[in-house]
Amino acid sequence: MNRKLTLILMGISLLACNFLFPQAQRSTPDSADFRDPQPTGFTIVRLHPTDGDLQTMLANEAQKAAALDQMPVVEFDATWCPPCQAIDQAVKANNELMLNAYAETYIIRLDVDEWGWGDSKLHDFQFDAIPVYFKLDSEGNQTGEVIDGGAWGEDIPENIAPVMARFFHGE
Amino acid sequence: MLPYRYFYGLIGIIVLLAAFASCTSAESERISLASFTENYVDVSIHLERDPQGKYLLSATFTPPEGYHLYSKDIPVTGADGLGRPTLLELTPNSLMKPAGMLVESVKAQVPDFGPENLLVYPVGAVTLSLSVELPPGNGWTEDELQVTYMACSASLCKPPVVAKHVLVSIPGMEMLDP
Repeated sequence: MNRKLTLILMGISLLACNFLFPQAQRSTPDSADFRDPQPTGFTIVRLHPTDGDLQTMLANEAQKAAALDQMPVVEFDATWCPPCQAIDQAVKANNELMLNAYAETYIIRLDVDEWGWGDSKLHDFQFDAIPVYFKLDSEGNQTGEVIDGGAWGEDIPENIAPVMARFFHGE
Repeated sequence: MLPYRYFYGLIGIIVLLAAFASCTSAESERISLASFTENYVDVSIHLERDPQGKYLLSATFTPPEGYHLYSKDIPVTGADGLGRPTLLELTPNSLMKPAGMLVESVKAQVPDFGPENLLVYPVGAVTLSLSVELPPGNGWTEDELQVTYMACSASLCKPPVVAKHVLVSIPGMEMLDP
């Protein structure tokens, strides 16, 4: 009888512990906006045309990136794009290769369905397929360094991460 | 001056070629209805009559080198939102009427990577064909149809084209089948 009571009390106290001290969530929210300024930190934000002029927003984001000592990079993606979503899933799943590749980067995501494709809103971002990444300088201007999915083969972390790491960090 | 045997040989070849050409034209009549390139995919639309006298509306979608298209059977909004189907469709305003199912020239397959329900065609061109009934008449008529497609490689995607209306001139049934 005493043993049963002890087990019940242990169960209740475990539940109470979980309720009172919930585990910190490290997973990403549903939206693509994801900030993880941790030791190997990187940041992912998404900009929308309704938020303002792109160049102004990029300049602001580049300042935030500098404050975090991260490299600002623009990524164009779309919800219908399997390679883009594969990258997103790998990052959200905390794939170690992808986390290492993304380390110290500040990814600014722009959805082509919102921003258009070669639209005037995009200023001089020129591309003909996604995903595509543009490095920015500390003022939010393009550095001229660009990479797209064509640089790797099948969209699996083992292929993507080394190429991205070289692009981001020159490794 | 050609020797007679060469002359008769040449005539023979010409007759054979003419006979072959007449045979092929008897097998199918092919009328080009439209062709365009949008979002890096070449699309050509034809009307053909098969040996049984049925009319086939067909569209050939040719993506850039190394790119593939998605199965006609994935949802219009994509498989879990991903990809877009390859479709050749009549619209509610079309004068042509469907007389069969949409048929693909190549079989779609499960992708090497990614969701299993996101069926893809092998890299390269795909032709979709739809058996149709032509409207009555003895002249050309304006008609419309629509196409949907999206091209991706293993790691890149071009933007999709969804329900693009295409205006075409089609012959009346009596015009081809008096």
